Amino acid sequence: MENTLPKIIRKTSPYLKRPKASVTRMMRDVTIALLPVTAFAIYKFGMSAVVIIVLSILSMAVTEYIYYQIVDKLDGDKFKFKNKNFTLYNFSVITSGLIYSLTLPDNTPAFVVVIGAAFGIFFGKLIFGGLGQNVFNPAALGRVFIVVSFGTMMTYDVDTVAGATALGVLNNDVFNIAVLENFKLMNLFTGIGIPGSIGEMSAILLILGGVYLAFRTSFEVRIPLVYVGTVALLAGAVAIYKDLGIWYPVFHVLSGGLLFGAIYMATDPITSPITKGGRIYFAFALGVLTFFIRLFGAYPEGVVFSILIMNMFVTSFDYYKWTNQQITKRQKLIFTIVVLVTIGITIVGVSYVG
Amino acid sequence: MIKKSRQVRDYKLLDKTLPTLRYVNPEEVFIHLQNNRCKTYDIFVKEGDHVLLGEVIGMRHGGFFEQPVHATVSGTVGKISKKFHRTGRKVDTVHIKNDFLDTMHESVVDRSIEEIEKLTQDEIVEIVKEKGLVGLGGSGFPTYIKLATKEKIDTVVINAVECEPYLSSDYRMILEHPGEILEGLKYIMQALNAKKGLIAIKSKKTPLYQILSQLLNTRYKDLNVEVAKLGNHYPQGWEVEVFKWALGIEIPHGQLPMKYGVIGFNVTTAYGIHSAIRHNLPVYERHFTVNGDAVKFPQNIRVRVGTSVKKLIEISDGYDTLQKEVIVVMGGPMMGTSTVSDDVIVSKTTTSVLIFKNVEYKEEPCVRCGSCVYSCPAHLEPVQIMNAVKRNDKDVMKGLEAFKCIECGLCTYVCTSKIHVTDYIRKAKRLIG
Repeated sequence: MENTLPKIIRKTSPYLKRPKASVTRMMRDVTIALLPVTAFAIYKFGMSAVVIIVLSILSMAVTEYIYYQIVDKLDGDKFKFKNKNFTLYNFSVITSGLIYSLTLPDNTPAFVVVIGAAFGIFFGKLIFGGLGQNVFNPAALGRVFIVVSFGTMMTYDVDTVAGATALGVLNNDVFNIAVLENFKLMNLFTGIGIPGSIGEMSAILLILGGVYLAFRTSFEVRIPLVYVGTVALLAGAVAIYKDLGIWYPVFHVLSGGLLFGAIYMATDPITSPITKGGRIYFAFALGVLTFFIRLFGAYPEGVVFSILIMNMFVTSFDYYKWTNQQITKRQKLIFTIVVLVTIGITIVGVSYVG
Repeated sequence: MIKKSRQVRDYKLLDKTLPTLRYVNPEEVFIHLQNNRCKTYDIFVKEGDHVLLGEVIGMRHGGFFEQPVHATVSGTVGKISKKFHRTGRKVDTVHIKNDFLDTMHESVVDRSIEEIEKLTQDEIVEIVKEKGLVGLGGSGFPTYIKLATKEKIDTVVINAVECEPYLSSDYRMILEHPGEILEGLKYIMQALNAKKGLIAIKSKKTPLYQILSQLLNTRYKDLNVEVAKLGNHYPQGWEVEVFKWALGIEIPHGQLPMKYGVIGFNVTTAYGIHSAIRHNLPVYERHFTVNGDAVKFPQNIRVRVGTSVKKLIEISDGYDTLQKEVIVVMGGPMMGTSTVSDDVIVSKTTTSVLIFKNVEYKEEPCVRCGSCVYSCPAHLEPVQIMNAVKRNDKDVMKGLEAFKCIECGLCTYVCTSKIHVTDYIRKAKRLIG
């Protein structure tokens, strides 16, 4: 017998952990899924896209790093170059920065990019206590902050013919189907030849990333499906009511930041409900809000606003008296009624507008 | 990873294929006088007495039942000392020095088949009670109480799922003693006057299916028993899941399955019932798994009840000496208890010892991915209960029904951030009592 018997230590069950599952893997997957979109943005806008992306990620990372060093200093810890809370190690801050940068228009001035990024990560994530604690999606918060504060400085590299982005045109004249003649659906689908934010144009590359994430199970696939489905459903109802043809819902789905927001921002697990049912209702509410803002609101972009608004209600989706791990029959019934009522409200609203 | 994940890697290949080693004659055994259900006891023998195999040497007193204690070897009674039980507590044990003769006590006589056929429910219950048979899967609940049920039972389900990873003692036992198990099932059906029997196994355990159905088609043609192949996920072996998958009956929390006309027994219990009724023997041996990634030679051993686990690890070539720290687990890796010493005694209900390397996982903040919510077999929301525990909110813990938790450990297993969620739920269960 050996003299050196191992020491027996006590732990609690279970003693096994799922191999391969980790936060890093999840966050890294989002970054990988965004790579084709990023590459397309750089291909299309060249240096200005590179500057925006690099600046966003850097300013988010630097803000976070400085914040944690200050917090550690205040706690009386020794200065360490490698800070344990810093989320660069698990890709979380890179993901936030990349998502934020891809929602920006290509002519955004550098200082606006930096301010938005710093604001988003600080007020969206850090003051709530860092990764896992945030109420708002940092990328969405930063984006909305600069839209509201520096709106006039962010111009799109617009087409001379159209004079605005597809949704910008639509916002001024909601049911003008003629707008579609300037924005070919094929172009909206591939992202070639249309103006817009640097990462939001190519529907096919966004969907490609989404499929990758779905295969890696790194996001909840129900959220984008229900979100986009709701917008399509409501747009379809409007199209039938107004007799706008079947391209109207397709146009709504493909234009603007809907696909981007649905696939990469709304699915952020930290700022979405925890149960299967909750996530479906959350995505449905997102779709309704987005469509309402697009149709009745002052801003053309409904996606980031609706994501921020719904982020506030996540806690009520998770309220312990209302959540259920399973989707019960009662929930199904209520949900069906809500869907029908929403369609009714949309049509009534449309009859006032148009 | 955000998904419902009930697939747990089972790591069984190593020990499943090896035949069971017979290690039936230890030099000394220690018989538990207390266990997790019985706190007090009487002992009928004193130091220096000679006892025979199968002799009643004491009586354990539980809350509502009594349980005789049997000698599992023949030999000389020694001192009473404190030894570890599989639940991690130190309990009184009586030491018996083996004389290697295995002289049977005069009560151990075979019953003839005709005699058995005449037995009524009350007589079978009486035999099972005398032999101190309990749920051998680990519950330790007295079997005679279950057998004495007055409800009308349609189906007797034998739970041979063994869904915990690493364990294969049930697997080897069915492979090596299928006839005894079917006999045991037959006696249970006779006692309960049930028409149908069912043996639940995992669908990937094809050899078990083959051997059992072959026996059912030849030797036990008259027996109305079928072998049900259930899913391969964890925790398929949870009684509620077994009934749901095998019969489609959902038993709500807190209700007894007997009300729904079904009753479940572990496969080892069926084997125990066979030896109690046929041979009038108490459980004095059992199949035992020694496995884990820090033991040199994982295998199944047939051991005398009362053997020290230390001896069993020694005959499995001992610990992996490269490891500085190991974890010794009694039971399965998902639900078993970790002990502070390997000086544990094999009791009737101990199924296995697992020795693991000590792997420290880096815990990250919860990202609310929801894997635990999706996976929970008891339909709870573990992460929400965990947050309620962190802020000590008992209303929420109750509202989220933390008491329904079966502590299967799946929430910790699937956690993306490697958080020990199960510990928080245990705490919640303690807090809300």
